[in-house]
Amino acid sequence: MRKIVIVPRREFRVPVEAERISPDVFAPLAIEEIGKIEVWEGNRKTALSDLFEVSGDDVPAKPEETLISLSGDFSKVKRVGENMTRGRIAAEGDLGMHAGNGMSGGEIEIEGRAGDWLGREMRGGKITVLGEAGDYVGAGYRGESCGMRGGEILIEGSAGDYLGEHLCGGTITVLGNAGDFPGIANRGGVITIGGNAHLPGAEMASGTITIKGRAKVLPSYQYLETVEIDGLSLKKFFGDLVDNGKGELYAASVEDGGA
Amino acid sequence: MIIKGGFVCDPKNGILGEEMDICIECGKIVEKSVGGDVIDARGMLVLPGGVDAHAHIAGAKVNSGRIMRPEDGRRGIEPRTKLLRPSTGYTVPNCYAMGYRYARLGYTTAFEAATPILESRHTHEELEEIPIVDKGALTLFGNNWEVLECVRDGDLEKLAAFVAWGLRASRGYGVKVVNPGGGEAWGFGGNVKGIDDPVPNFGVTPREIIRYLMRANEILGLPHSVHLHTNNLGKPGNYETTLETLKAVEDITASRDRQVLHVTHMQFSAYGGTGWRDFESKAPEIAEYFNHHDQFTMDMGQLIFGSATTMTADAPLEYGNARLLHAKWSNHDIELEESSGVVPLVYGRKMPINAIQWAIGLELALLTKNPWQVIMTTDHPNGGPFVNYPEVVTLLMSRVKREEELKSLHELASKRSSLPSIEREMDWNDIAIVTRAAPARILGLSEKGHLGVGADGDVTIFDINPADVDPSKDHRKVKEALAKARYTIKAGEVVVRDGDITAVPQGRTYWVDASVPEDQAEKVRADLVEKFAKYYSIQMSNYMVQDAYVTHPRVVKAGVI
Repeated sequence: MRKIVIVPRREFRVPVEAERISPDVFAPLAIEEIGKIEVWEGNRKTALSDLFEVSGDDVPAKPEETLISLSGDFSKVKRVGENMTRGRIAAEGDLGMHAGNGMSGGEIEIEGRAGDWLGREMRGGKITVLGEAGDYVGAGYRGESCGMRGGEILIEGSAGDYLGEHLCGGTITVLGNAGDFPGIANRGGVITIGGNAHLPGAEMASGTITIKGRAKVLPSYQYLETVEIDGLSLKKFFGDLVDNGKGELYAASVEDGGA
Repeated sequence: MIIKGGFVCDPKNGILGEEMDICIECGKIVEKSVGGDVIDARGMLVLPGGVDAHAHIAGAKVNSGRIMRPEDGRRGIEPRTKLLRPSTGYTVPNCYAMGYRYARLGYTTAFEAATPILESRHTHEELEEIPIVDKGALTLFGNNWEVLECVRDGDLEKLAAFVAWGLRASRGYGVKVVNPGGGEAWGFGGNVKGIDDPVPNFGVTPREIIRYLMRANEILGLPHSVHLHTNNLGKPGNYETTLETLKAVEDITASRDRQVLHVTHMQFSAYGGTGWRDFESKAPEIAEYFNHHDQFTMDMGQLIFGSATTMTADAPLEYGNARLLHAKWSNHDIELEESSGVVPLVYGRKMPINAIQWAIGLELALLTKNPWQVIMTTDHPNGGPFVNYPEVVTLLMSRVKREEELKSLHELASKRSSLPSIEREMDWNDIAIVTRAAPARILGLSEKGHLGVGADGDVTIFDINPADVDPSKDHRKVKEALAKARYTIKAGEVVVRDGDITAVPQGRTYWVDASVPEDQAEKVRADLVEKFAKYYSIQMSNYMVQDAYVTHPRVVKAGVI
């Protein structure tokens, strides 16, 4: 595997738009050419090597055999891995907003925290976050009727609000808690939350949301029965009835006002 | 300036593909050039600048579309350059993009199809920001209380005076009528079901509204005829309403050398069937009627597959769309004048209804024998965005292309329309008519749509040699060439070269100033004083479009005196 390492030269005070940090873009280029790739720092257009130290294997390889290693603080670096189709990106620390936008294949691993809009509108591939993730994981951007359509997102920590908004496919798994309105307007995706969640599945048309901890369930959900899944006793609900939805919602325990 | 040796199509002046020179001085076509640029157009197609007679490009409902569709704004982003401001959007582009994109397609004139008087200031504010093209706006009258009262009272002279006042108040160019009576009924959650269904509280029928407005239009001798969006538009079986409407006005004659009625986006009004299950094309019936009635014209309202944003003063229609498609919906009440709605949607190749709709637009254009009677539009952005005009032209010119497309569509497009059997392929003169000469004639723009001496110096040059290229077989080449004009010349200035904008002049805004007898004008004023005192949410002084809103006017005079 060809490994390319990128290290910020300094701390960024304004966001850096770096949608071209992607195995598809880097793979056919030598290190020097990669350094010339255009990025924006705030409203200023600049070259990748002005902001980052780029090093690693110099010989071009196929995108699927390319690993981009992000070393240092990337929390202000946005759109990394946008529309990537193959290969790997590994962030040793935090990664900024919109990582993995619209990606259709390949893998992104984030050891630290992921910013908002992680994997928005992604179609395939896998994103793993060892830390926490921000709001709108796997969501559709403003106005879109579909967010994530395929692929997999795993968050080992907790996720923010509006997890998987307008999900049209794919799976999102959060081992920790989720914030407000996870799975809002779900249209066929699968969300599993290891911890607690608040008001899941509002406007859900179809799909499945499972909460292994406590959930505040909307009054527009109908309680059906208690079922055993993987050794866990879960209350099964049906909704969102406000929208004639046919989604399935499971919760281990329910805050008052629910069932 | 002289454009040398191009293959010129100027059907209005009987020039049907001749190699000749075109000269422009001081923004006008002239006999002889006195100097300036020389453009070598040998082996290229030279046409008058394109004229779009019906598009929704400015005003409150376009802006509602933008507000509702941030996702549309993300499509079609082009960053600013030293010359250009940034562009955004596909179905509802920002104002700058409208002008740039029209110019790149070789269009130099575009008319906004519907503005209520109350919202005309907004319309003009946006028109002012659309660069390059000349423009104008048609004013909505079909559900206005003053109109309905004049019809109820049988006072044709007063109605004509109100139309003249409304055009001045809105700085409008012509009389637009949308689902007459239906917009008013929508204020009470209803609609009119046919041309003889009375409007609640007024007791007048759509038939009477249309007839009165057409007669008022002809009394005033306006450059454009009434521009009608029929009742029951968008509903299965509505071709009967359309034909009934046309038959109801056969006795009215035009006061000028033009059509007496323009029926707009006919594709949406040519449906058969009793419901969506047996939905079918009735375009052949409509075309047949037009083939025997040359006093009427229409535009296609061609459907384009993909994203569209429907926007219309036909608010009950939009309510139906929103419920049917479970889509985003904006609904708007325009006080004493209209109602309106906006619904984004996607037309799918495999959706039976959409595939048949697509075929209907093409049938209308190809089965109507006289190209002067049916002009090309997509009812932007209702049928699809205007940037797809090259696609429509290739469909009209190539049966091969139509057959290729039909293969990718739901089979009902072939079974429920006559399109597969239509052999006709338009030639470059037909295209020059349906995209230039006819829209100009229909709008009554005597200096547009042709290249005769005295016409505006608006010329398009496409990098396509009609001697070498067979549009039927080489439709891909044609589409590519039409999408990026080699040159677009606006009022004698090169605004596009090789598909890139080279200059951004400000176009003019057409509006009609029609005179009426003072006693009739006084009667209208008295009514309006009462209406503003009692009903309007604003005062009349804040209502009229002032000259400051129209900085480059082109005032066309009309009227009784």
